[in-house]
Amino acid sequence: MNSSYLLRRIGYGLVLMLCVVILNFLLIRLAPGDPAMVIAGEMGGATEEMLESIREEYGLNKPVLTQLAIYVGNVARGDLGQSFFFDQPVASLIAQRVGPTILLVIVAQVLSIVIGVVLGVLAARKPNGLMSGFVSVFATIGYAVPVFWTGIMLIILFASILPIFPVEGMQSVRLRDAGPLAKALDIAHHLVLPAFTLAIIYLAQYARLSRASMLEVLGSDYIRTARAKGASQRSVLFKHALRNAALPILTVAGLQFGNLISGALLVETVFNWPGMGRLAFDSILRRDYPTIMGVLFFASAMVVVANLLTDLSYRLADPRLRGK
Amino acid sequence: MALLEIENLNVTFNTRHGKVTALDSVSMHVNAGETLGVVGESGCGKSITALSVMGLIPMPPGRIAGGEIRLNGENLVTASDARMRQLRGAEVAMIFQEPMTSLNPVFTVGDQIAEAIMLHQNVSADRAFKDAVALLDRVGIPSPDSRARNYPHQLSGGMRQRVMIAMAVSCRPKVLIADEPTTALDVTVQAQIFDLLNEIQRDFGAAIIMITHDMGAISEMADRVAVMYAGRVIEEARADDVLDTPQHPYARGLISCIPALGKDDTELREIPGVVPPLHMLGAGCAFADRCDYAQERCRREKPALVNHGHHPAACHAVEEGRI
Amino acid sequence: MKDPTTVPASEGAEPQDDLITRYKAQSPASEAWRMFRRNIPALAGTVMLAIIVLATLYGTFLYNGDPFDIVWAPHEPPGATADFPLGTDYLGRDLLAGILTGGGPTLAVGAAAAAITMLIGITLGALSGFYGGWVDNLLMRFTEFFQVLPALLFAMVLVTLFSPSLWTIAIAIGVVSWPQTARLTRAEFLKIKELEYVTAARAIGARNKRIIWTVILPNAMPPLIVSATLTIGVAILFEAGLSFLGLGDPNVMSWGLMIGANRDYILDAWWPVTFPGLAIFFTVFSVSLIGDGLNDAFNPKLRER
Repeated sequence: MNSSYLLRRIGYGLVLMLCVVILNFLLIRLAPGDPAMVIAGEMGGATEEMLESIREEYGLNKPVLTQLAIYVGNVARGDLGQSFFFDQPVASLIAQRVGPTILLVIVAQVLSIVIGVVLGVLAARKPNGLMSGFVSVFATIGYAVPVFWTGIMLIILFASILPIFPVEGMQSVRLRDAGPLAKALDIAHHLVLPAFTLAIIYLAQYARLSRASMLEVLGSDYIRTARAKGASQRSVLFKHALRNAALPILTVAGLQFGNLISGALLVETVFNWPGMGRLAFDSILRRDYPTIMGVLFFASAMVVVANLLTDLSYRLADPRLRGK
Repeated sequence: MALLEIENLNVTFNTRHGKVTALDSVSMHVNAGETLGVVGESGCGKSITALSVMGLIPMPPGRIAGGEIRLNGENLVTASDARMRQLRGAEVAMIFQEPMTSLNPVFTVGDQIAEAIMLHQNVSADRAFKDAVALLDRVGIPSPDSRARNYPHQLSGGMRQRVMIAMAVSCRPKVLIADEPTTALDVTVQAQIFDLLNEIQRDFGAAIIMITHDMGAISEMADRVAVMYAGRVIEEARADDVLDTPQHPYARGLISCIPALGKDDTELREIPGVVPPLHMLGAGCAFADRCDYAQERCRREKPALVNHGHHPAACHAVEEGRI
Repeated sequence: MKDPTTVPASEGAEPQDDLITRYKAQSPASEAWRMFRRNIPALAGTVMLAIIVLATLYGTFLYNGDPFDIVWAPHEPPGATADFPLGTDYLGRDLLAGILTGGGPTLAVGAAAAAITMLIGITLGALSGFYGGWVDNLLMRFTEFFQVLPALLFAMVLVTLFSPSLWTIAIAIGVVSWPQTARLTRAEFLKIKELEYVTAARAIGARNKRIIWTVILPNAMPPLIVSATLTIGVAILFEAGLSFLGLGDPNVMSWGLMIGANRDYILDAWWPVTFPGLAIFFTVFSVSLIGDGLNDAFNPKLRER
């Protein structure tokens, strides 16, 4: 992989982020009403003094382009503004919440890919078999269930009928002073339900996709070559076929990341998971625009990074793209 | 006893037109060190015959409905999956038609050859890779050390076919099946591949089954020839005999289609008509509709592969001395 | 030397197409309809969706009741009182009335949002695929930018900024969902514009506009129709999610709102959240069964897999 390609990709990512910042800026100004009022938040019952300080900070009395420059400059310095509702800088609000969201999203992503691919590969062994039928029914159902409702149903199930997993929050209060291992296990315990809720939809899609992708690859000439060598069924499936079938799965996994963050937003709300989604929900209810815009910016940044990583891993996985 | 004997092999496929017979009582054999050419048009069953020997007929929809394939007397039709895996690549190996798509795009060619070695010989990965490099050298790939670390897309079609050959001979198989190994390659490379196969056969003493629709390849390579049409062997003899004195009208047609060098006859000839689809085969000779000598009996009764004087051919007209 | 005879390339495993069956084929649309009619899951989906639509349109004539009215004690379980077959919610509001009236906005927003998505997506995708060059480059960068924004979050921001109503919600969902449609349309256009009949249309001097809308687009429709069906499903889920979060129109009862309003009491009563959730599920499920059926009908080859 050459470094100029990497630099170009990173540069493109930065341009996309700049566009998100400009979009945020435009949204605040397109919204009906005085931008200073919008920034202060309608719930705040802002005083004239407060509005004046906002106008000062964002340069709202200056020409629009200057305002934009000030805004972009602030974001570039890591200053996403001040949340009037939480009375904290938005950047530090997000910094507190980003960890749990990344944990939830990545665990859900890994769960859905691993389980989905295993189901898909098993189904591909017999295109008209029982497993194939299960995968396609499951995929259609998984697609149709609202993720927040799955979460609620799991809460009802696990809170009253089968109380083996906590249904709310990320940590138990009684473990506040426990050791790091106990804390990690506690978080993992809390993570089970939200991560599965989020994983289920995508799991179904990965199962369907990897089944289709495997079936296509299994019909190819190089699979016949592998069999002609005397390779075992397991080696044919998991070594020769899966390495090739994984390429489209990887592409979808990258594209899916933005949807996963959207899903996390609902799941965090349902399970009171202390992440960015919960923060977005709270700040939207309070019309705390600096926080909302900060979350939108940061969530987009996560998607940009995820896309970049997908792109790079795709090039690693497919030798035909290396060095191009 | 010949090294590989195929006897009365019947293979059927379930298709949306119902069950069709892809191979109908096919018999042929090949001796050690000998090259058998199997010739015929697309769809005549020659590739199905090869895949049957390899145990690679997709089942379902395919099914071996009867007959035997004996390698050194061992019946492969009834062999277990595990036994077939042991034999594939070690005792019988195959080179496929499409070198461009027959190598796995995500592994280096060295690794793919080394895998074949490790599947059948108890050697370390290092040793296998070194052997793979030596094999690449043997099949005439320049700077094999660095080529072994290349991926298939970095090699030309001819080089890829050499890699396929290296992979196929890596365990010194007794039988090497080459399924139209040069169809996808250009003419100069074709000649090189034929030379290589002949050399390999001399060195390794393998029997080669050469599957082709190309009579030129037959004259280059084959000691004996089996001509197939619509799932049956219709003529079988020494290569020279078939080339010089073809019996069956279809074989005659194939031979007369070879553009002869040095003659003024530049017109490319072809046999009129098409092979009937397998599900529409009737009771009689499958070639009857395209045959100038066909009579009522030909449409009613399938001719058997019998020697009518010169060498075995399945034709009523030959039997009756009409041609 | 090439194959000396005039035989179509085909290997023994798959005999050549029977000429007779090939000629019996009708026009693509009627052929697709014939396939669809034989597809039992797709027919079941169609019937299911028809029942849901009829129930949301006319259900209130048979069973009237204002879903916002407090009519009974809170948390009456389903089946306990004949007057309220599905029970009541945490305020004592009739759940069946909510289910029957709550489907209307969900379906309307879903359909409108899907229409907006298709309109934006097809227009941009068609221009991008047809003109290529810098137009394509610019539009694709624009599409990539929209794909970077997490859709639900962006829709939440839009709805909040421009105050929630059924129209703003439909527009917001459309604005965040079009990129996939644009990509699909572009890919179809890239493929179709190279075909002979497009060249022929150019040769007789058809204008670009005419070629785009009357020559290429109709031929690109099959995958776009499938995509539109699936988009309706996604839009319904979006609307439900927004309403669940309390970002729907507060004056209109909807399934998502019912779940959101009752979610604090799920451990006291399971039914107020379960029934609206099932309603959403069956709606989206029926739509996606239809979408899968259309997909199979338009691509008969994929069925054989």
